[in-house]
Amino acid sequence: MSQMNSVAGQDLRDMFSAATSWLEKSSADIDALNVFPVPDGDTGTNMMLTMRSTMDEAYRAPDHSAAGVAHAMARGALMGARGNSGVILSQIWRGLAQGLEDKETFNAADLAAALQQSAQIAYKGVCNPVEGTMLTVMRDAAAAAQAQVDAGNEDVIALMEATVDAAAESVANTPKLLKVLLDAGVVDAGGQGVYTILEGALRYLRGETELMRLRKPQIIVSDIPHVVSQPQSIAIDEVPYGYCTEFLLKGEKLEPDIIKKRLLKKGESLIVVGDDSAVRIHIHTLTPGNILQLAAKLGTMHQVSIRNMDEQHQDFLEMQKERMPTTDTAVIAVVAGDGLTDVFGSLGAAAVVPGGQTMNPSTKDILQVVEATFSDKIIILPNNKNIIATANQVQSLTEKKIMVVPTKTIPQGVVAILSFDYEAEINANAEIMEKALSSVKTIEITRSVRATKINGLKIKRKQPIGLLDGELIAVGDTNLDVINQLLSRLGLEKVEVITIYFGEDAEEDETEQISAGIMEKYPHLQVESIRGGQPHYSYIISIE
Amino acid sequence: MVVKVVTDSVSDISHAMADELGVTVVPLNVVFNGYTYRDGVDMTTDEFYEKLEHEEIHPTTSTPAPQVFSEVYDRLADETDGILVITIGSKLSATGESAFKGIEVMKKKCRVAVVVSELAMMAEGLLAIAAAKAARDGAGLDELVKLTNDNIPRVGLRIVFDTLEYLHRGGRIGKAQALMGSMLGINPVLGIKDGEVFPFGRERSRARAIDHLYEFVAGYSRIDELAVEDATTPDETGAFVKRLGAVFPRERIYLSKVSPVIGTNVGPSAIGVAVLGDK
Repeated sequence: MSQMNSVAGQDLRDMFSAATSWLEKSSADIDALNVFPVPDGDTGTNMMLTMRSTMDEAYRAPDHSAAGVAHAMARGALMGARGNSGVILSQIWRGLAQGLEDKETFNAADLAAALQQSAQIAYKGVCNPVEGTMLTVMRDAAAAAQAQVDAGNEDVIALMEATVDAAAESVANTPKLLKVLLDAGVVDAGGQGVYTILEGALRYLRGETELMRLRKPQIIVSDIPHVVSQPQSIAIDEVPYGYCTEFLLKGEKLEPDIIKKRLLKKGESLIVVGDDSAVRIHIHTLTPGNILQLAAKLGTMHQVSIRNMDEQHQDFLEMQKERMPTTDTAVIAVVAGDGLTDVFGSLGAAAVVPGGQTMNPSTKDILQVVEATFSDKIIILPNNKNIIATANQVQSLTEKKIMVVPTKTIPQGVVAILSFDYEAEINANAEIMEKALSSVKTIEITRSVRATKINGLKIKRKQPIGLLDGELIAVGDTNLDVINQLLSRLGLEKVEVITIYFGEDAEEDETEQISAGIMEKYPHLQVESIRGGQPHYSYIISIE
Repeated sequence: MVVKVVTDSVSDISHAMADELGVTVVPLNVVFNGYTYRDGVDMTTDEFYEKLEHEEIHPTTSTPAPQVFSEVYDRLADETDGILVITIGSKLSATGESAFKGIEVMKKKCRVAVVVSELAMMAEGLLAIAAAKAARDGAGLDELVKLTNDNIPRVGLRIVFDTLEYLHRGGRIGKAQALMGSMLGINPVLGIKDGEVFPFGRERSRARAIDHLYEFVAGYSRIDELAVEDATTPDETGAFVKRLGAVFPRERIYLSKVSPVIGTNVGPSAIGVAVLGDK
């Protein structure tokens, strides 16, 4: 493969010009990644517009040296920065320009050093740097570039390949670092933008311009499970987001650091970047007037933009809806335990009502979640026989169409949601789900709260007891003993999958012992154990 | 003159089928570790899956250049005055665009019609097979374009596999995003709807997933063509085909391999079934 040891100013310009076109193809997809209230409603578009301004200026560079082009890019970016992500992007170019100062051409080591500088300057521009954003991606990418140089690699293309790979990995990792991303099941939009720009530059260096015309950048997908929203976070509270306020301040002897200090307490997501003649300011505030008044005393304001973020939030919710499969039916499950909540979330439940055995939710609790869920057609899975009647009452209290699939246990709820058909409408789905219930048997293991006699069993207080489909039919000295008694009553020949959800008080050793025991006795079975985190029941076992 | 049918390698038309029906297959590219292989030409399907399972680096795929199509058109123009091109859907690949651009750069004179199928795998393959058969029976180019367009809504595709890992790594998940990140072991059943990958079911075991495929086929009231394809599981596929004998003559079932381009996204355990017919 071809190797490149030195890059001239023209190539620097052309590579990022190609990267801009590459980003442009992806900007709508990046917009769709946006998570509110992470700043800006349209990260992809903002980064693309910032890049356009960056490159327009690059073509007006006074000379063709790398330093000249990089400085022009930094200037263009500052002047044309749009949105939070655009401002941070402008800092990246500023860092690059500082790193390439006085360079006619640059080599791999120069580029690595400049990228490091970019990452540093980008962090500096933001008052409260948040990890899991484009800042993190830039830093990880720059570190990979430096590692190539440290390893003695002099090929700029190889260095960029390592940089792009690291950026991709960093983007995929963003949901681990930032909970809002995890909740929304997306990667960071700004990080994706940085990755796309770097990737576009790399493709140019590799000579893939023809290919770039035909293809399109790919959105990185994270392998971190999508977690269901808890009702408290999806309830439509009247929290005002305020106004996203941004402008370019021009003047003489401006002092960005002092301006930053003065604005620090006036809002959130504050970014102040620039030099003594031009400063770009971005802030989320409830009182944009105060910010403008303050700025007017320092210089002249340009490209003033004040946007109502509550409106942006509405647009965002609409967009979220479009990302989902073409169904307008939402499923709500009543679940106790964080593990089980995640299980239902990963299977597509729109929301979860906390509740279960000994903590039955009220009709009002369920109604609240129903009203807060972004759909007019809702299927409720009560997952407990004592909650079915409560769930049935919701229909008379809401305008929305409600169907209750009478799931009596967690495993029934799981098979019900698994059989959900994305093509079917609500009535058909309720029918399909109800039909699926007979395909599963449920074992629940708990402890008796008092000594008693039931179904011919003599039970001591706190003794492990076992229920099969809600009926108490086994008692023993250990959980394992009770489970074995119950399993031997069931004909397991036709069973394929056993899933053990272990509760908050279950011990890891015992769980392993139980699943190993089942696998040994019934080698044809697929056995899974998953942390359910449910209270009261040490184990809930699904037999399918 | 008999109209010539051209398709891309994502159609999973095997060399034997292509020879028998006179179909020309244009390869997409698989990029592994910086090296580009033409699908089915520079690397066999078996070699590919071997690499896929054992190499850490995830392969990517790329569209054939317009020149690759124009060369095929120019070569076929010596034998015919009409060429029908059937490609993978536009939401999955830019191959259709490349096939169109190929017309602009071709040197010889010949009518070329491109149908972008909004499908992939043997669903796309069955369109090419049906068109090639009709062409052999004397259908003209316009007739074939109409036939193919009429057939598109009549083709169904279902694929099952053990893991979403590969689809995930390739980023071509489409609406099947809804199945992602499941904490339970699930065998997804995917297909294509409106040109995008779409989740049609989630089964708790491989056996049930295969049952799902069977029931999908059995749900057709009339079957014109049927194809079954796998990646690396011939024994399981053999048993499945035997079972399908109950609903369709076994000797008429086309057997094929999931091409590396799709294999990159679905992984080595994929089994797919495609039906041309009416429900």
